[in-house]
Amino acid sequence: MAQPATVPGAEPDAAYVAMSCFDLLLIELVPMAERLAREYEASLDVPSIANKPPAKTNTSTTGPVTPTTYDGLPETEVFKDSVYFRLEKLGFRVGLALSERFSRDRPRLTDNLDVIKFVCKDIWMIVFKKQIDNLKTNHRGVYVLTDNKFRPFSRMSMQTSQEATIRAQPHLIFPCGIIRGVLSSLGMKATVQAETTDLPGAIFQVKTTQQKT
Amino acid sequence: MALGSTPAIACIGIIGQYDNPLHISLFPPREHEELEMQFLLNSSLDIFDIRLKNKMVDQDLGLLHAVDERLATYGWLTNTGIKFIITIDMMGRPSAEITSNPQARNLPPVLGLRDSDLKPAFRAIQNAYIALLMNPFYTPEMRTPTQTMHALGKSAEITSKKFKSEMQRIGRAWYPGITSI
Repeated sequence: MAQPATVPGAEPDAAYVAMSCFDLLLIELVPMAERLAREYEASLDVPSIANKPPAKTNTSTTGPVTPTTYDGLPETEVFKDSVYFRLEKLGFRVGLALSERFSRDRPRLTDNLDVIKFVCKDIWMIVFKKQIDNLKTNHRGVYVLTDNKFRPFSRMSMQTSQEATIRAQPHLIFPCGIIRGVLSSLGMKATVQAETTDLPGAIFQVKTTQQKT
Repeated sequence: MALGSTPAIACIGIIGQYDNPLHISLFPPREHEELEMQFLLNSSLDIFDIRLKNKMVDQDLGLLHAVDERLATYGWLTNTGIKFIITIDMMGRPSAEITSNPQARNLPPVLGLRDSDLKPAFRAIQNAYIALLMNPFYTPEMRTPTQTMHALGKSAEITSKKFKSEMQRIGRAWYPGITSI
């Protein structure tokens, strides 16, 4: 019988779950966040744009607009912020726990570049079973992490690739939160943004303000 | 060194990365000296800062400060900035109590402690802390003590019963020369 692959740096008696469970969880995170955002929006007293009937626009040549949310209703500011904060906060908490668990017994991470390399190699290997493909920095606090075959995107496709990149965008919020959580617990305050230009690639931008002492 | 007693853990303290106190456990005979122990933990923070400034430190900082003939503090700094501080009372427990433990019976009387004697205790504390972070019902405090005080009105310490009882277990089980707790 084949030995299951073990995670580098985990305790010898760690329990393992199939990777597909994690993939399914990530798939479900975004629709759940959107559903909860809709409920929150509905509970507010202020009528939001979603309740007003859409204004009649000039018929354009581009045809019907593809809905970008899972329920097809228009996105509002409240909705977008709610989804973003919920997913980012979840990722942040997961990142805190991940870094605590997997940075033990490693040599001390001294400066910002070491911390970013820890994210690119160790954290990415643990969470997505591969490393970051490319790391660029401008040596002034901005790091660009490129993953050419981002695991959650590996099975995504839509009719047109432009639709797919728009629909895939919210799925990057949770991994951004994970990165921010790991950086924060290792002493690096930063903002993390992500975008995808062509599936299944993903590009993460980390902007940090001060040098780690 | 009195031959009738062995070193024992008097206090386990955990301080977060923003110098916020997370947990303090006291053990006999110093169970009621909370104020003195808090003062000791606070002053140990300065030693962490001094050591970090000078050179690259490993996780185990070893002996931080020998307070007097009886008390000594040992420290451990994780990669994430969490500080574990153990205060040892050199005449903490009567030997009779320890000799009931079959493994400890054959050890010679202790004259001094090596840094490596505390490693099993620190590892056990680290395991317990990591298990606590894995608990989704615990949110780590990300603010300095003054900010927490303004927000909550009191310090945000660890309230998990499992964690507290694990700290008690570690503190009571340790004796010099133990290999794993």
